[in-house]
Amino acid sequence: MLSALNLVSQNLNAYLILSGLLFSIGAFGFLARRNAISMLMSIELMLNAVNLAFVAFGAFVSSADPSHAAQASDIALIVMAAAAAEATVGLAIVIAIYRNRKTPLVDEYDAMKR
Amino acid sequence: MPYATLIPLIPLLPILGFAFTALFGRRLMLRHGRTAAEIVPVGIVIAVWVIAMIVVVPALGHQDPFGTAGLDVKLWTWIPAGRLSVDLGFHVDALTAALLIVVTTIGMLVHVYSIGYMAHDKATWRFFAYLNLFMFSMLLLVLANNWLLVFAGWELVGLSSYSLIGFWYHKRSAALAAKKAFIVNRVGDVGFALGIMAIFVNTGTLNIQESLAKLVEQGAHNTVPLTIVALLVFCGAMGKSAQFPLHVWLPDAMEGPTPVSALIHAATMVNAGVYLVARANPLFSSAQDAMVVVAGIGIFTAILAASIAFTQTDIKRVLAFSTLSQLGYMFAALGVGAYTAAIFHLMSHGFFKGLLFLDSGSVIHSVDGEQDMNRMGGLWKKIPITHATMLIGTIAIAGIPPLAGFFSKDEILGEAFKAGFTWVWLIGVVVAVMTAFYMWRLMGKTFYGESRVDPAVAPHVHESAWQMTLPLVLLAIPSIFLGMAVGLPLGNGLLVGWLKPVFEQSEQILARTPVDTLFGLPVDTVLIGISVAAALAGLISGLYLFGWGSRKVKQDTVDAIAGGSGASRFLYRGSLNKWWFDEINDLLFIRIGGAVAAFLWWFDRTIVDGTVNGVGTVVRDAGGGLRQIQTGRVQNYALGIAIGLIVMAGSFLLIVGQPR
Repeated sequence: MLSALNLVSQNLNAYLILSGLLFSIGAFGFLARRNAISMLMSIELMLNAVNLAFVAFGAFVSSADPSHAAQASDIALIVMAAAAAEATVGLAIVIAIYRNRKTPLVDEYDAMKR
Repeated sequence: MPYATLIPLIPLLPILGFAFTALFGRRLMLRHGRTAAEIVPVGIVIAVWVIAMIVVVPALGHQDPFGTAGLDVKLWTWIPAGRLSVDLGFHVDALTAALLIVVTTIGMLVHVYSIGYMAHDKATWRFFAYLNLFMFSMLLLVLANNWLLVFAGWELVGLSSYSLIGFWYHKRSAALAAKKAFIVNRVGDVGFALGIMAIFVNTGTLNIQESLAKLVEQGAHNTVPLTIVALLVFCGAMGKSAQFPLHVWLPDAMEGPTPVSALIHAATMVNAGVYLVARANPLFSSAQDAMVVVAGIGIFTAILAASIAFTQTDIKRVLAFSTLSQLGYMFAALGVGAYTAAIFHLMSHGFFKGLLFLDSGSVIHSVDGEQDMNRMGGLWKKIPITHATMLIGTIAIAGIPPLAGFFSKDEILGEAFKAGFTWVWLIGVVVAVMTAFYMWRLMGKTFYGESRVDPAVAPHVHESAWQMTLPLVLLAIPSIFLGMAVGLPLGNGLLVGWLKPVFEQSEQILARTPVDTLFGLPVDTVLIGISVAAALAGLISGLYLFGWGSRKVKQDTVDAIAGGSGASRFLYRGSLNKWWFDEINDLLFIRIGGAVAAFLWWFDRTIVDGTVNGVGTVVRDAGGGLRQIQTGRVQNYALGIAIGLIVMAGSFLLIVGQPR
């Protein structure tokens, strides 16, 4: 069992499949959930799925050229910073709309149509 | 004498008179009576006559500063636009002077006459304002030194003619006649405008003298062939001088007050076309094909109009058709290269036809506005001055020596014969017979025989006021003596000497060798004999049929001739209906032209507008359809993004990710 896990953890494809699954879950959540907070959380999920892919690429490709690992981690860190900023702004908007509309459900928001 | 100051005054004074009368005439007339409103316009025209005479005398005598080439007075540069530079300037030579005599003299007399004729009209001030405007326009047209200024005058006489024909605008027929005159004239004017453009294209200048010299010098090397330029210019002349097929407006123009008919539609404006062709004589002489057209149209109009004058019963209409016919003579003269004869006839016709029209106005005035000759007759003792002067006019136009008409008409016919245009001469002689005949028909029906005047009006028939009879007497004088004064000796009179420099170049180009003898006799003697015989023949048959003194009209004989056979009945009906030209125009332009216009309108509405509107509708509907997917919901947009991403990624994998 442990050796199976060890085998999996040595395999790049396993990380990419996990990343793809997380991204799909995030995308599905973003499209299907009506709650604005849940949508923000789904966005975080997608971003982190991408981060996982980056880091995995960095770890596996670095055996050929070690500097790539650091570059992949840099991108992941930048994405995290962007995600944090995005979450802040997103939450601020959600709260503002919530105060205005008295609902967290996005399908009630149709201001963009006007 | 400062001619450079005097010449601009000639057109300037009437336009000031027009402005003054138009602005203050109504108030003056209401407060101080009609004399107050008339004094300025009439006084101005008299002043213009005096100035014109001061200018005319040295100009005709080729004295300094006029010389043989004429005097140019440039006021300022009117349109400075690169290659196109047009001056506002005047050119006075002998031809201008000849026209100035006619325009200012008859203009002045008609102004005086109008004081009497319009004495009962409510808007006399407006009439005099228009008359002054007309004087300005006509003088501008005659004096101008460039084609564009001629054209401006040309259009302005058209405008004042329109205003004066429709002077009694509340009369529907007058309003329609004014419109007809204006529109028919526009048809000719298009040709004239194109002609001016062609002249500019050929020569790069609009100055009349310079451009004519250049046109002749360039000859066959002109961009636009001279024949076409000449015909385009002649188009304008055809409209203004009412030559076939644009002759239809002149008879209807008689709806205007009679002084207007005398001044504009007999003596001056309709001569503008003759003046134009004479002014452009080097151009026409260099384009002899065009001259044949001019001669043909002229002589055809002469006989056509004379034939219509046979059966008209409205006294003014007879004179109108007679004017058409005489103008036809003038164009025939221009066409055969007898420019001096044409100007001679223009002058003598101006005087005697102005006289005849003013006489007819005096007759109409005396019988209380009646114009139908069938309701006149026997007037000769009641209105003696009018009768005597009209008799003079009739004999003058008939061409009996030694009155004015004889000299000018004979010169035209003689020149036509000698230039080899025998057909023009032959038709001309026939027209001379017809002219004498229908003019005596007019005299007989109006003045002689028993009275057919409305019994209610008959007791009031009276001679007109002195303001009306004085111009008649004054016009009768040149009608008698003008021919003798400027036409003797035959073919080498004063007028020939005056106009020689103007037409010298043309005579060199044409280089005609005159015929000297005919049947062993001097050709002039034979031709004069024939034309006098023709005039007498017409006059005597007129005398026989329509009587003189108290002799009655031989109505039975007239009816027998008119209705004697099928052919004569057809001719009678044709003449009475003016050869159906109004009907033909109605069919061609109102019915057929209207149908074409209606089709074009339909095409424009359905096909052209349909295409434009169709494009608009399709775009709008497409936008409306696309609007449906813009829900304003974030998740719908996000779904779009997701689908797009999947499609992009999928196609990347399919296309790029394929194993090699």
